[in-house]
Amino acid sequence: MQRRVPARLSCSFHRTPRHGASRRGFASEATSASTPGPEPELYDVVCVGGGPAGLSLLTGLRSSPATSHLKMALIDGLDLDKGKMRNPSPESYSNRCSSLTPASVSYLKEIGAWRHIHTERVQPYQEMQVWDGVTASRISFDSNPSHMSTIATMVENPNITTALLTRLTSLSPSTAIFSPSRVASIALGASTPKLDLSSWPVVTLADGRRLAARLLVGADGANSPVRTFAGIESRGWDYDAVGVVATLKLEGLGRGGGGHKVAYQRFLPSGPIAMLPLPGDMATLVWSTTRKRSTILKGLGTGSGFAHMVNAGFRLEAVDIEYLHQVAGEKGVAAEAEIADEVAWRETHTRWDESKVPMRVVGVQNSSIASFPLRMRHADTYTGERVALVGDAAHTIHPLAGQGLNQGQGDAAALAHTIARAVEQGQDIGSLLALEPYTSERYLANNAMLGVVDKLHKLYRVQSGPLVPLRSWGLSAVDSFGWVKGWLIGRAAGI
Amino acid sequence: MASAGGRLALRGIRPPTKLPTLSPSRQLPVRICANPSSVPSARYTSTTTSQPPNESTEHETQSSVDPAEIRHFDGLASSWWDPYGTSRLLHLMNPLRHTFISRCRATSAKSASSAPSGQLRYLDVGCGGGIFAESAARLPGTASVTGVDPSPAVLAVARAHARRDPVLLEPGRLEYRNAAVEQLARPEGPGQQYDVVSLFEVLEHVSYPAPFLQSVMPHVKPGGWLVLSTIARTWTSWLTTKVVAEEVVRMVPRGTHDWSKYVNESELRAWFAKQPGWDNSQTMGVVYVPGMGWSEVRGGEGFGNYFFGVQKSIS
Repeated sequence: MQRRVPARLSCSFHRTPRHGASRRGFASEATSASTPGPEPELYDVVCVGGGPAGLSLLTGLRSSPATSHLKMALIDGLDLDKGKMRNPSPESYSNRCSSLTPASVSYLKEIGAWRHIHTERVQPYQEMQVWDGVTASRISFDSNPSHMSTIATMVENPNITTALLTRLTSLSPSTAIFSPSRVASIALGASTPKLDLSSWPVVTLADGRRLAARLLVGADGANSPVRTFAGIESRGWDYDAVGVVATLKLEGLGRGGGGHKVAYQRFLPSGPIAMLPLPGDMATLVWSTTRKRSTILKGLGTGSGFAHMVNAGFRLEAVDIEYLHQVAGEKGVAAEAEIADEVAWRETHTRWDESKVPMRVVGVQNSSIASFPLRMRHADTYTGERVALVGDAAHTIHPLAGQGLNQGQGDAAALAHTIARAVEQGQDIGSLLALEPYTSERYLANNAMLGVVDKLHKLYRVQSGPLVPLRSWGLSAVDSFGWVKGWLIGRAAGI
Repeated sequence: MASAGGRLALRGIRPPTKLPTLSPSRQLPVRICANPSSVPSARYTSTTTSQPPNESTEHETQSSVDPAEIRHFDGLASSWWDPYGTSRLLHLMNPLRHTFISRCRATSAKSASSAPSGQLRYLDVGCGGGIFAESAARLPGTASVTGVDPSPAVLAVARAHARRDPVLLEPGRLEYRNAAVEQLARPEGPGQQYDVVSLFEVLEHVSYPAPFLQSVMPHVKPGGWLVLSTIARTWTSWLTTKVVAEEVVRMVPRGTHDWSKYVNESELRAWFAKQPGWDNSQTMGVVYVPGMGWSEVRGGEGFGNYFFGVQKSIS
């Protein structure tokens, strides 16, 4: 029997799980909520969220012969068409960039999206310099040990989403795109003598349109409403840290010229500072630091003060950097000249190998400085009855290894393959059993990556004590063993 | 009832009184050749399944189905579609059924196909809650699926579950009949026959396999396939299906299987070799490995679960 729940509840995302997330739907008498309204339109796949993971999943399904016939819909709160990259200026880059692993790139090629990428705006890099900011112990990765020419490729996120959207909308049958369109509620469907939708999630949009999903995909970010609807818990913690990003102009093409690009990452006690190459003399910054320091850095604006701070971040001692933040915190933009003098004077008293740090920053792109909170989250499972989670809805990772977007691409590829296999075997693609291989394929791999990155973050925040010499020894030891480095590069490359 | 006593003996996991042998040269099985009416077996039950009023079109004939088996599966009906419930092993095995059917059909792909249009008609005998029937009905190469099962409770589950998928409700795609196969009308031509007639995990529940198979065979189209999966009657299968699955791990409900009803692959092959108009038999042995699922094992038919397929000649 259907039990009606109060209208108040049917308008919220939450549905109380009775038997844990993975068993939802089997106690339907207690959990089904029949929402009044027009008959919902039936879809095989409804994806909430048009970010790289959601778009990649739908494009993957549409371009595979086994699943191209599925009836699919995409819902996003933003105007996806308006967000497309159009006639981008070669002088200006988005501050939201990702380091795509070769595995992610080959998946984007496989599903036909890569040919729509503005390739003049992507930058592969062949070398990585990583060092400890306290002990200066260093590890350098270059592509030779594993015979790869490219470690990873820097791409602006809007470049990826634009390419995926262009590819998706060029494929037939067409995918229904509801954008900009807000999800008002998600509830289970109704059972009528004709058809029993009591296990089907029904998404009601703000304008009253209703979509019933054989499989509802949550690609809707860290605060995923789909995950909440499915009653899947997400656990983790917030770091007392934020990531500061900016688009930088350097004094030249880089130490290896235009043909050999290097990514740099230095572990400071306040968090890692990373500079990743973009085409020409451009680069992107990801500086993970404390909340307080991020406010100070952002307070400098795009003037020379910020550039000096970044240059110091890759060269000076931790105590110098701390002092510079003090000065900047007290005087803000007015401190520009003082910071310049301080950096110049302190550099004369510091030793470093200029050939192993990034070229100097000479400019910061207007309004490119932004920050985001750093979090570690992992959902208890990626699937429920007629629900699957991909990307940040399933896991949020510290950006220090640049794996967030790649994990989402890995999820999308694995889920698309799982669905294709289910279709070929005549399974209901929304059934828990059909979705089982997706969770088992992705969960442990993602969990391991989340754990390693989390431990690295904690390890390098330590400034003194027995851990410090130990981690330096570890880094130097790894540096001298080619095969270990090869393995690490392989992990980072997702192969 | 005497038959209940026979089953009780097995429930007590007493080892089989007569040792099975793995030798292929084993004497011809008594059961498969036996004419049921001539054997005063304690387990033989001649029954007429009572039909619900809306099923009155089916023929009232003798059924091979043991009413105790129907009662057993009626009791399992509610958990049939719970992927973590008692039917989990069947759910996990389902993809292999399609693999095996494709493999069988591929052996005869070069000769005249039973379905020139490529659209297959399936008859799933002992369809249970519809695990295979539903999946076959969703495949793009399927014209129609008819599922039959004598258990009313299980079939009610199958019908209710099919209502969850609008694709299955498309006219003609999936039909269920509450009947034993003997009660189906005898087909009068290829138009009423099927490209694939399946008996998945059924034979081990049938008291007299030979007459049962003979009642199924007319439903296969010339060039079509009779495919089945079952369990070999060996020490290994007794240990795994009766002792481990039902008693130790409790993965399968107690009383699901009656080991003495199991039929060996060699027995099936020998029996079909004598049936005129049937050839091209195919076998695939499979083994369940906890944590890994079902996988094909060469020679697996000699000790445990196996698939068997045989083709009806075109002539």
